[in-house]
Amino acid sequence: MRPSLALLRTTTFRLALVQAGVVLAFVLALLGYIYIATIGQLTRDADVLLDQEYATLERAYAEGGIRRLEQEVGERAARDGPLLYVLAESNGAVLAGDFTTLPAIVRNAPTHIDLNLPQGAGEGGEARGLIGRLIGGPILLVARDLGDSAVISDRIRRVLWTVLVLGVLVSVASGLMGSWLANRRAEDLSNTAREVMAGDLTRRAPVRGVGDEFDTLAEALNAMLDRLEQLMQTTRTAGDAIAHDLRSPLTRFRQKLESALDAPPNTEADRVALRKAVEEADRLLDMFAGVLRLARVEASNNWRFELVAATDILRELAEFYEPAAEEEGLTFESAVEEDLRVMGDVGLFTQAVSNLIENSMKYTPSGGRVEVRAVKRQDGRVEIAISDNGPGVAPGDRERVLERFVRMESARTTQGAGLGLSLVAAVARLHRGGIHLRDGLDNSAGGKGLCAALVLPAAP
Amino acid sequence: MRVLVVEDDAEMAETLKTSLVADSHDVEWAADGDAGYDMALNGAYDVIVLDRMLPKKLGVSVVRELREKGVSTPVLILSALHDEDHRVEGLNAGANDYLGKPFSTRELLARVRSLWHGRGREPQTRLQVGDLEMDLLARTVRRGGKKLDLQPREFRLLEYLMRNAGQTVTRKMLLENVWDYHFDPQTNVIDVHISRLRSKIDRDFAQSLLHTVRGSGYRLEV
Repeated sequence: MRPSLALLRTTTFRLALVQAGVVLAFVLALLGYIYIATIGQLTRDADVLLDQEYATLERAYAEGGIRRLEQEVGERAARDGPLLYVLAESNGAVLAGDFTTLPAIVRNAPTHIDLNLPQGAGEGGEARGLIGRLIGGPILLVARDLGDSAVISDRIRRVLWTVLVLGVLVSVASGLMGSWLANRRAEDLSNTAREVMAGDLTRRAPVRGVGDEFDTLAEALNAMLDRLEQLMQTTRTAGDAIAHDLRSPLTRFRQKLESALDAPPNTEADRVALRKAVEEADRLLDMFAGVLRLARVEASNNWRFELVAATDILRELAEFYEPAAEEEGLTFESAVEEDLRVMGDVGLFTQAVSNLIENSMKYTPSGGRVEVRAVKRQDGRVEIAISDNGPGVAPGDRERVLERFVRMESARTTQGAGLGLSLVAAVARLHRGGIHLRDGLDNSAGGKGLCAALVLPAAP
Repeated sequence: MRVLVVEDDAEMAETLKTSLVADSHDVEWAADGDAGYDMALNGAYDVIVLDRMLPKKLGVSVVRELREKGVSTPVLILSALHDEDHRVEGLNAGANDYLGKPFSTRELLARVRSLWHGRGREPQTRLQVGDLEMDLLARTVRRGGKKLDLQPREFRLLEYLMRNAGQTVTRKMLLENVWDYHFDPQTNVIDVHISRLRSKIDRDFAQSLLHTVRGSGYRLEV
């Protein structure tokens, strides 16, 4: 597609054409008005003057007959002035007046006419006349020499044509210019999109800073690209993390089978090796299940939400985990307000809270403390806070532990794929809530444990 | 026990068959939904193990149509899709149990036995295993005539174990049936609950009733 033709297809050029049309119509209307208001008025003024003069002469004819009229016409014709007169007999022979011939065809009733003055009689040129046949046959013509005003009107007419042509030219040119400019901005955006598609995700559309609609569009496009790049980054990180985290269990899995194969057959030792291999396989499968579950929560928007009796579920979860916590030497305490309700998915809600409780239990050493508190806040949201006095998470790392596969170095030795908290975060997002990490209870090292608060909108 | 396995993946079917035969069941195999439906309709099976994704007819449709024909053979659905919605869909269609892939062989065997065991049982008001007695109406438990004091959840845990007396029940089965939880806790929560229950029903008695089945789960039996 050639650029010049492409320009003609743009929306802005079409708008420019419409605009040119509107300008043309407006100029035409304006010119029409000016024409009528100037030249038209001149003609009308002349007609009124001619009517009066004709009537005066008609009256003189009625009072004094053809003699009197001939005298009057002779006198008036002799006078200097813009008015010209001709009196002729019914056969057209001129009796008196400014011309020697009748310059126009005669009708019986007085008629307004445009006429050209015969050369020699006056300066020649345009005139407005009133010609008619009087009672008994004589013909009377009264005319007004338009002389100067004809020149003026001609000039006005010429100016009007010039304005018309200029107006059309200017509006077409400005339309072309406008569409070229707009096209260039749109071209910038398209180029950015093409470059991104070609694989360069770091490209951004230029923003002029003038705050026009193209800037708004460019900013929206850039924001979208930012989000996209961030997601790509996350996916890449997750992919790397999966590959990394899968390598160790897979290697152990392989080693156990291989060493069992290499060793001489020994039922008992083989059984141990096989059991260990199964454990590793289970760990791998757990990881995959976690990844899939997380993907499903994040990708899907067709969850059927229902009224979740949060109070009951939280109390049951507390009752479920309390014995295991005590077994591990933890003090487990729960305080759940009555009648807490949220709209959501029961299974996901239960799993999210259980992930938080397990997380606290896992990282809090024996002798520590885990607390589950659930309240309805002033702002009407339900907050489920699980606090512990374990090692805690440094404020700077808190954002990061919510990402997939991130486990603090200290946790590398413990089990789990690092998906627990990211699942909670995904579940919170799905329920239009959030997960907030803050300082928990005082720990033995003089620091703070972790408090993970799941905040969800309360059901009406 | 006669078990019908409906599974289109031949390798998977072979593994299932081997495990079930080793657990002393007679096994027949159908490779698609239509064949499975016909065999289930005409043969006398004690339990049907049904894959969810089958050629020709989906597992859920097979169960629904069997139930419409009045076939009440217990059905266990196996599925790679084991999230809440699909599980509920399968159970609503008339399946008796639902097991997500991947699963362990022990888990499968325990569930197959449990299904057969619980089949056609009359509603009971009393359960008894040895000298352990449960009154489901009065919600009391006695052992050797001595009343035991159980928490409500411990009562439900014991009830499930007594209903499956003599059968191995897995941790997953306990989670699903006693707590209605469909996720895997990372910690040994179930073991702790069992050991608390055990201390109430077994500690003061010479004979232990609640046994740990290594690598599988638990079994209540005399």
